[in-house]
Amino acid sequence: MTYKEVAHTNGYEFTQGGGYELPTYPFVPPPEIGSGAPARHPIVIVGGGITGLTLACSLARLGVPAILIDEDDTVGVKGASSRGICYTQKSLEIFERLGIYEHIAAKGVQWSVGRTYAGHDEVYSFDLRQQGGYRLSQQPPFINIQQFYIEAFLVDRINALGHVQLRWRNRLTAFEQDEHGALLSIETPAGAYQVRAEHVIDATGSASPLRKWLQVPFDSKRGDDRWCIADVRFTTRPPQERHTWIEAPFNENRAVWQHLMGDDVWRIDYQMAPNADPAYVSREDVVRERLARQFGPEVEVEIVWVGPYAYRSECVHAMRHGRVFFMGDSAKVVSPFGARGGNTGVADADNLAWKLAAVMRGRAAPALLESYGDERLEAARENVRVTNRTARFLRPADGIERTYRNAAIALAKRHAFARPLINTGRMAVANPYTRSRACLYGEGSAAGQSVQNVAFAWADGREGRLNQLLDWAAGDLLLLCFGPLSRADRKRLAGLSATAPLRVVQVVGADDAAQCLEHVRDLKGALRDACQAAAGGWALVRPDAYLAAHGRAVNADLVQAIGLALGLTGVNA
Amino acid sequence: MITTPNWQDADTFYEQLLDAQADLSPEQIQAFSARLILLLANQMGDARVLADCIAAAREAL
Ligand SMILES: Cc1cc2nc3c(=O)[nH]c(=O)nc-3n(C[C@H](O)[C@H](O)[C@H](O)COP(=O)(O)OP(=O)(O)OC[C@H]3O[C@@H](n4cnc5c(N)ncnc54)[C@H](O)[C@@H]3O)c2cc1C
Repeated sequence: MTYKEVAHTNGYEFTQGGGYELPTYPFVPPPEIGSGAPARHPIVIVGGGITGLTLACSLARLGVPAILIDEDDTVGVKGASSRGICYTQKSLEIFERLGIYEHIAAKGVQWSVGRTYAGHDEVYSFDLRQQGGYRLSQQPPFINIQQFYIEAFLVDRINALGHVQLRWRNRLTAFEQDEHGALLSIETPAGAYQVRAEHVIDATGSASPLRKWLQVPFDSKRGDDRWCIADVRFTTRPPQERHTWIEAPFNENRAVWQHLMGDDVWRIDYQMAPNADPAYVSREDVVRERLARQFGPEVEVEIVWVGPYAYRSECVHAMRHGRVFFMGDSAKVVSPFGARGGNTGVADADNLAWKLAAVMRGRAAPALLESYGDERLEAARENVRVTNRTARFLRPADGIERTYRNAAIALAKRHAFARPLINTGRMAVANPYTRSRACLYGEGSAAGQSVQNVAFAWADGREGRLNQLLDWAAGDLLLLCFGPLSRADRKRLAGLSATAPLRVVQVVGADDAAQCLEHVRDLKGALRDACQAAAGGWALVRPDAYLAAHGRAVNADLVQAIGLALGLTGVNA
Repeated sequence: MITTPNWQDADTFYEQLLDAQADLSPEQIQAFSARLILLLANQMGDARVLADCIAAAREAL
């Protein structure tokens, strides 16, 4: 693969610095080579970036066989690798389910305070810990860590779990599909081979060959904004907060981002002049001069990595084309403000994984797979919209757009009201699904929203958290019933869980008597809060910790919600 | 969006508006107007009303 259009891709031909050493994975000649007929694999994932690996790990955890092919033999991008750094609470919750959260927490850096400056004045600051929306989860609002670490943890985890084969230095070179299946042609150092697949996942990133071959329509927008990353270590330590400058005096009044990642490495992103020459701006002496302007000439700086980038935004019109599901950057590309690229790739993978698993294991109807498009296309569009707005704020067109930005900055320095206009990136959130065929929406319903990984007490008093309940449900739906249940309710619930892939848990208070063997205690009401459920009501939680529906009584609504969440009962009317 | 008179004192406002800009350069006037619009918009707050106002301002072109 070549990266010709350096200015508009995630490519890095002007990258410098050998500060990162990435793991390499061995090439193992696949058994299909030399055996003539194409082998059959139900699921083939193409691309082992953060998205493809998250999907592979989720499938492996659910015991669903698949193969993943990647043309490279390492994590990160082609040996150079400063990309994603900020991981959201939702991603961290997903990684906990996958069994790699502890590694991320140990290697990464938690932060919650962000400050924004214009010139020498602070115009805005926030502390995520003070914001209610993050409080219920067992995971922090954000962790900063180099993207390749997460990818490497995923690789190790997949290899430990089994079920999914990772095939390095296997490159997809051609593709066909018809009603019987897909045919993939793959090249390796030991020769070429073909596989047949029922489902193909395109996780090949922003230069997706599948998108080209299938002539998938998409919207695209590019700008002339240019940035240059410098990953550095210092002799002095700036505070662990996220600092952003909309106008940095030490960068010709252009924007600068400053974040701490793992290994005590600071990631400094500098906005460059429009159409700046990427080769020039990333030359070592030029980078050193820039760093000296910010930190002073006396500060010793070790350059770990340097790379220029530009961005564009893209979004497919549909997340599925025949047997191919698009996810991650192959489905949508966003500017890197607010950490929406990698995090939404992870959410794409988490969304499709349980649905594919349920369908493959015969526990849901194939129609459920259509809801992937409903849900993740809505998320993709929203993320494109949000990041385009940030890009417009950070690189306003000359004229009135700049006038308004100046007005907003001037007012924000004096008045709180103008601070919400300051847009240096809206940090990624768990996107809500408002129009999914798999959710049952009622008046004022929280269906389609993510449920945080809240704590509760197990029946024996030990502390538990939602992810453990989901783990126990092993890919089936989880029905939480809050409060007392009548005998008739219990009989209906027993009938439902005997016929549907459904695990029922009663949630009671500290002193209430439990009526079901499977029960937990919600001592502070956190579980009920997180499900936005009523006392005496129920919440139907999916394996991706999204709420499929909630209701007040064990009635026909519940039956319908289960049907929808499994793709059994037609389109949500 | 209110399109019938809602002023307490229309003439005074008009005069204040003109006075505030009388000695400004065209660039300063643009900056002033932008700040004023943002301040006024926040007084309204309501997203629907603001969208209607933007549309109505465009229509008058
Ligand atoms: C400067 C910068 C900063 C960013 N910061 C953040 C951030 O803070 N937080 C965040 O969430 N996101 C961030 N992002 C975005 C994030 O890096 C991407 O969204 C993410 O890498 C997308 O992952 P992916 O797995 O979809 O694609 P990729 O990471 O591009 O992976 C694609 C994989 O497919 C393989 N492949 C490609 N073609 C083939 C083929 N033909 N056959 C076999 N394999 C193939 C490649 O080898 C590669 O491993 C940032 C991006 C940039 C550029």
